[in-house]
Amino acid sequence: MNDKLTLKKDHLPAFLRKLSKDYRLVAPIKNRHGDTIFTRIDSSNSASLDLDNQPQNSIKQFMLPQREVLFSYHAKTETGYEFNPTDQINEPTIFFGVRSCDLSAILYMDVTFLQGITDSHYLEKRTNSVFIGLNCNQPFANCFCNATKSGPFLEFGADLQFTDIGDRFLVEVGRSKGIKIVEKWGHFFSAAEEKENKQQYQAFLEARGSFTRLVHVDQAIKRLQENSVPEKVWNQLSLRCQDCGGCAYICPTCTCFTITDCPLTKNTGERIRSWDACTFSGFTRMTGGHNPVSKKTEAIRQRFMHKLCYDVKKHGRPSCVGCGRCVDICFGGTDILRFINLACEGS
Amino acid sequence: MAGLATTFGSGAMTNSINEIENAQVILVSGSNTTEAHPQIARRMLDAVDRGAKLIVIDPRKTLLAEFADIHLDIRPGTDIPLLNAMMRIILDENLVDDLFIEMRTENYYQLRDMLYRLDLDEAAKTTGVELSKIYKAAQLYAQAQKSVICYCLGITQHICGTRNVQSLANLAMMTGNVEKGDTGVDPLRGQNNVQGACDMGALPNVFPSYQPVGNIDFREKFEAAWKVNLPSKSGCTLMEMTHSGKDGPIRAMYIMGENPMLSDPVLSKVEETLRNLEFLAVADIFLTETAKLAHVVFPAASFAEKTGTFTNTERRVQMVRPAIAPIGNCRTDADIISALALRLGYAMDYDSPAEIMEEIAMLAPIYGGMQHDRLEACWGLQWPCWDRSHPGTQFLHKYYFTRGKGHFVPTEHEPPSEMPDKKYPFLLITGRIYHHYHTGTMTRKSSTLNRECNEALLQINQVDADQLKVRNGETLKVTSRRGEIKLTAEISEQVKPGSVYTTFHFAEAPINLLCIDTWDPLANCPEYKVCAVKVTKP
Repeated sequence: MNDKLTLKKDHLPAFLRKLSKDYRLVAPIKNRHGDTIFTRIDSSNSASLDLDNQPQNSIKQFMLPQREVLFSYHAKTETGYEFNPTDQINEPTIFFGVRSCDLSAILYMDVTFLQGITDSHYLEKRTNSVFIGLNCNQPFANCFCNATKSGPFLEFGADLQFTDIGDRFLVEVGRSKGIKIVEKWGHFFSAAEEKENKQQYQAFLEARGSFTRLVHVDQAIKRLQENSVPEKVWNQLSLRCQDCGGCAYICPTCTCFTITDCPLTKNTGERIRSWDACTFSGFTRMTGGHNPVSKKTEAIRQRFMHKLCYDVKKHGRPSCVGCGRCVDICFGGTDILRFINLACEGS
Repeated sequence: MAGLATTFGSGAMTNSINEIENAQVILVSGSNTTEAHPQIARRMLDAVDRGAKLIVIDPRKTLLAEFADIHLDIRPGTDIPLLNAMMRIILDENLVDDLFIEMRTENYYQLRDMLYRLDLDEAAKTTGVELSKIYKAAQLYAQAQKSVICYCLGITQHICGTRNVQSLANLAMMTGNVEKGDTGVDPLRGQNNVQGACDMGALPNVFPSYQPVGNIDFREKFEAAWKVNLPSKSGCTLMEMTHSGKDGPIRAMYIMGENPMLSDPVLSKVEETLRNLEFLAVADIFLTETAKLAHVVFPAASFAEKTGTFTNTERRVQMVRPAIAPIGNCRTDADIISALALRLGYAMDYDSPAEIMEEIAMLAPIYGGMQHDRLEACWGLQWPCWDRSHPGTQFLHKYYFTRGKGHFVPTEHEPPSEMPDKKYPFLLITGRIYHHYHTGTMTRKSSTLNRECNEALLQINQVDADQLKVRNGETLKVTSRRGEIKLTAEISEQVKPGSVYTTFHFAEAPINLLCIDTWDPLANCPEYKVCAVKVTKP
C-alpha cells in the first residue's frame, strides 16, 4: 500500500481520539507554563496539542526511561539470591508528531539495543510502539538535521508519516502497523491527488532551503577522522564545560547508562538502570581511583569522537541527528554546534 | 549587605545578570564564578568571547582566572590595599570621573586625601602583586566606558568584609561606573532565595522591604496589619545566636532549612549552644546534623513541592510551582509556621501563597506591584516595583542613589585576625565546589554527584607537597588552634605555596572545626576565608 492519503486537519482531534481507544497516545503538548513536551494525551490536555514548536524532550525517555527498575532481588539464607524480573507495564503506544530527527534517533537506538545482544526491556517497549512522524516544514533556530542527513523530511522509519500541506496532512503509509491503522480508520482518509503530492514536494523544497544555520558536519567528521582538530579546540571546550551532563540527558541518541543496586530492606532490593553521561569523571573512574579518561579534554574528546567519528566508522553515519537541543541546554557553550564550528575553523 | 547599604543605600546587585554580557571590562573579585555561579560565569565568558576584558582578583588560579586578561593573585585578606592602589593609580593617571563625583556623590575629598597618603610600592608589597599588573588593571577598569564589578564571599567573608565592599563601591563611584546600564557593583548571592529572605526582613534590624524596626511609623504599620506589639530594638545576629554558648540569652530556637552544625565557624561552640537550648525545633527536608540535635523535627516540603516565589541575585522575584506532590507527611514551611502559630494562639488565616504575596505587596513597598497574577505572566519582576503598573527595575540608582548621594567611605588595610606563623605555617582558604551545594544536605544524597566528588580534598601546592613528602590522594591532618580534621591531599597549581584550600560541604570533614570565630563587626559575617593551620601526616 504505497499510495499517499490525506487527512483533513479539522478531523485530526477526532482521529486522535479514536486512536486513544486502542493505544496510549503520546504527543507534543504545550503545558500551562508554555513548554512543549512529549506527554501522554488524555482528555484533560488533548486541546493543547502543539505541532508548531519543537518538543523540549525527545522520545528517548519513553524507550530508555531516566530511571528503570531492571529486576528485584531477594537474598535468602538457604537458596542464596533469587532474582525476579519486574512486571513491565508496556501498553501499546502511539507516538504522534515525531519529527524526523527524533525518529532517526529511535532508529539509532534500535542499533544500540537490538543488534548483537538484545535488550529485552528496550525490545518490549519498541515492539509496543507505533510512530506517526511529522515532516518539518519549518526548521527551528538551532536545527541542522540537513547537515546530519536526518531531516527535515524522512522517507522511512515511521509507521505513518504526516506532512502539513495547509488545511490537511499528506499521509504516507510506512510499516505494517501503519497499514493496520489506516485500514481500521479508513473513513478519515482520502486518496491524495496529484496536486497534493506536488504540494508536499514544494513543502520539502522550502523546508530544505530555510535552515538558518550553516553547519559543516561532514567537514568536522573529516577533521576528526584525520585527527586534525587543533588541540586548542579541545582545551577551549573543556575549560568551558560545566560538567552538568545536560547535553547527554537531552540528546535523543545518547544512551549511556549506569547500573545501581538499591537495597529496599535488609534482604531485598532492586537493580536500577539510569541515564549517565560520558562527560562525568565518575563515568570512567575505576574503583581504585584510576581514570583512563582522566582529563576533561579527554572526556569532551570522547563525546564528540563517539558521535561524529566512531559511529560513522561503525554504522556509516554520525549519531548526531541535528535536533539542536544541546545548543539550547548547554550553558557553557560547549555544545556540538560550537564544536563543529571550531573544528572547521581555518579549513 | 552593610557595605553597599552605607555607600549606595541598597544592599543588592545594582545591575542585572544579562548586562554583564555587554560590559567592556568585568572585574571579578573573590568569586569562583564558574563553580559557584555557572550561569553568571557563562555571561562573563560570552563577554570575553566578544572582546571584553576580564580582571580576576583571587589568591587562587581559578578556572575563571585562566580566561582573565589580568589575574591579580593577591595574598588573602589584602583586598583593601589592592583596591586603594588601583584608585591611587586612577587618580594619578587622571582617569577620575569628576562630573559624576560632583553630581552624584559626597565625601570624595576624604577618600582622595587618604589615597594621596598611600605608598604604592608598599601597597603592592602587602598584596604580593607586581605593581605593573595593578597599573594595568586600574587603567583597564577606568578607561572603559562600561565596567562592571562582580564580587562574592571572597570579599565579604573577612574581618573587614564590609569595608572590602565599600572599597569596591569607591572604585565604581570614582570612575562613574554605576547608576547606568552594563556597569555597577554586583554581589553574587549564594543561594537561590537569600535575597528574598533579606527582602522579607530575615535580618535583625528591619521589617520587610528594609524598613527599620526602630522607626515608629513602620512599626505601627506592621502592628496594625499583624495586630501584635512589635519590638523596637534589633534582634540578635546569627553569630550571637549560634555562638552564645551555655549561658546565652536564647532559650529556644526554630531553625528552617539551615544547618549551622556544619556551616558555622567553630562547630564545638555551635553544638554547645544548641545542646543547651531549652527547646530546639528544626524544619528541613532531610535529617541534618542540626536536626539531629532538635527536640522536634518538622519534615518540610522541597522547592519542587510548593507554590511561592524565589528572589534571585538580580532582585528578580520569580514564581515557583509544584512539580510533584509533597512526599510522605511533609508540609510546606508556610504551612508548618501557620499550624505552629495557631497552636501558640495566633491564627494566620491565609488560604494560599497568593494571599500572602498580596500582603507582602501591601506592606513591603519594593514589592508593591508584585502579585502572583503579574509574576505568572512573565519571567518575574525585579524590585523595586512600586505598583501594578510598574515594570520592575533593571538597574538601581538611576538619576540618584537610593540613599541620596553615593557616599565614599575611605578605608585602610586591616590584616586578617590570624595569619600563618611558625607553629601554624599554612594559610587555609575555604570555598565551594561545583558538584555540591552548601552543607550537602541535598546534593550529598545524589549518587551521581557523590560519584563525581565524595570527599573533601585539600589543595596544596607541589612545592609544599614535596617538602612534606606528600603524594596525591594521601591523607593529611590539618590542625588549627581550634581543632583538627583529616583531608585528602590534592596537589594543585591553583594554590600558591604556603596556602591550602578546601571546601566545607562534607560532614565527615567539617572544616568549620578549624575556622576562626572572628567576624566582621559591621555585618557579622564570619571570617571563613583566612585562618592559620598546620598540615602534617597523621
